Amino acid sequence: MNQINYLFKPKSVAIIGASRIPGKVGNIILMNYLNEGYPGKIFLVNKNADSIMGMRSYRRVTEIKERIDSAVIAVPAEVVPAVMEDCGKAGVRSVVVVSGGFSEIGKTDLQDQIAGIAKKYGMALIGPNCLGIMDSRSRINTLFLPSYKLAKPRVGGVSFIAQSGAVGSVILDMIAGEGFGLSKFVSYGNAAGLDETDLIDYLMEDEETKVIVIYVEGIKNGRKFISMANKFKGKKPVVILKAGRTEAGSKAAHSHTASLAGNYQTNEAVFRQFGFTIANDLSDLLYFAKIFESEGEPKGNRIGIITNGGGVGVLTTDAISSSKGITLGELSKKTAEDLRKVMPVLVNIRNPLDLAGDADDKRYHDAISMMMEDPQIDMLVVIILFQTPGGDSRLASELVNMKISSDKPMVALSIGSAYTEMHKMMMEESGLPVYDSPRSVALSLEALLSFYQFRKGC
Amino acid sequence: MLLEYFKAKKLLEAHGIKSIESAYVFSAAEALSFSKGRPIVMKVISDKALHKSKAGLVMLNLSGKDQIEEAFKTLSRKGKSLGSYRIIAQLMSPGGIEMIIGGNEDPQFGKMVLIGLGGIYVEIFRDFSMMSCPIAKKDASVMVSSLKSSKIVAGSGQAEELLEDLLMRISRLLLANPEIKELDLNPVIIHKDSYDVVDIRMIT
Repeated sequence: MNQINYLFKPKSVAIIGASRIPGKVGNIILMNYLNEGYPGKIFLVNKNADSIMGMRSYRRVTEIKERIDSAVIAVPAEVVPAVMEDCGKAGVRSVVVVSGGFSEIGKTDLQDQIAGIAKKYGMALIGPNCLGIMDSRSRINTLFLPSYKLAKPRVGGVSFIAQSGAVGSVILDMIAGEGFGLSKFVSYGNAAGLDETDLIDYLMEDEETKVIVIYVEGIKNGRKFISMANKFKGKKPVVILKAGRTEAGSKAAHSHTASLAGNYQTNEAVFRQFGFTIANDLSDLLYFAKIFESEGEPKGNRIGIITNGGGVGVLTTDAISSSKGITLGELSKKTAEDLRKVMPVLVNIRNPLDLAGDADDKRYHDAISMMMEDPQIDMLVVIILFQTPGGDSRLASELVNMKISSDKPMVALSIGSAYTEMHKMMMEESGLPVYDSPRSVALSLEALLSFYQFRKGC
Repeated sequence: MLLEYFKAKKLLEAHGIKSIESAYVFSAAEALSFSKGRPIVMKVISDKALHKSKAGLVMLNLSGKDQIEEAFKTLSRKGKSLGSYRIIAQLMSPGGIEMIIGGNEDPQFGKMVLIGLGGIYVEIFRDFSMMSCPIAKKDASVMVSSLKSSKIVAGSGQAEELLEDLLMRISRLLLANPEIKELDLNPVIIHKDSYDVVDIRMIT
């Protein structure tokens, strides 16, 4: 079995540095396991305690005579090597070192030492200096962030890898505000053991992961990355945000080529070459993640727009027409005729189709079903402005119903505050991605199309 | 270090890439006899000069004794101010679309191959695409078609195929010659059914 599996699906865990004192890392992690109802065995280790919060605690991990699949280590950096030696001797299969104080402050020797120990015993290693791992299904959670500080995403198919713990926790909190769900989360910090390439490799084969989303500051091993990316070309959507776009080139270029090929440009070129979707901002990560999680392959690039507000329809038309690859479709003769029969006179039969502000669920139903059947429309954007007279929960639930029976990609666009937000969550949790701006819709449809086109060419 | 021009030219030839007829000239008379009545280009080659055109080190479309003598004098003067230099004479290529084909060694990802809109404004327009080596035919085709300037190229006969073929050859050259760290063919002048590589720069 892949060693990495023990990190995400351990049957038993040890918390080394477990603590009874609220606010301490070793306490927050313990509370997370308990609160989230981790169903496996939990062993506590603390060199100064025999009992923590009424649970038995061991002085050393070697004293535990049962099998341990994964240990999370939250002790000061200088004692981590000794603790890891113990883990190796105790047959622990994987470790997450959350402690900081390694290469990030120049202590590369200490980091090399723990990497060596992990290697010697064949233990999968995440960290050091990281938040570690969260798995929505196995309910493993090494994140030492108290649960009141960030909301918890629901269970789903998006797996997220972040080098930085801070960006990682921001994204987790942002995901919780979206209606799509999380499969796995990894903040891998200094990557003394596993790096982003190993993790992508694992997630590519992971059946619970539909979309991989990555934040990196740098790829640790470029050639290893390329060989992994080549192996899985087009297998799953990978959305990547790389920091350092504006970094100045480090070497003096002797050629035009080298002066064009800066570090960021080269990274981006490699990502593109292997079909990764490039995000330019944190919000792009969410936009792309949600469309890839819920939508499948579009048959073509022609977009249909249905709206209950003319202006937003025009703005969306603009955003789509100025995007690469996607274009506004033209209604077929049959669709136009069918629509004319059922739509009120004031509705102009064209794409974008403006149903007017008094549009109710019936009008939306007719418009969506007719446009979905149109062979000249490949993807549908349904704009619902809840500020309009007809904009209420009946529309939202009709959209969800239509979504379930549709075989073409379909997304919603709703802009607004509390009332809109409420409906957004309702629609998204039922599997309909909802966007908050014409630009984000256009970018996401473009990303969807371009990934599936890439995949077709593989 | 800048690889000597004719060594670089030979290396290209070994990979099936022809470049425009050239010769070092050490006097105006030599340049004149190279010209044989055909219009020529003369330029100063020096490892100190990356932007030859901007530095006034390239003189185009020279023909006849007077023009060639005058140009040789000017370029010699400019060359001397750079230290070590040579003057090269080349046939003048008829005008066309100027592209750049390049290679680079990235410390992480290894050999990269590049294509872009070339000429003297290459760093201003920054219209280029890049891939890690090796590349297949369809990769080369993606590289060409993803350029903003691909529409200009597409209008010109066999241009796309010529460029794709060049990219694949350069990718092979880079992998077969690990000592080449940077490479510029800039510009490669694209005509209807042919191309002229008019400047070569390889850094070891």
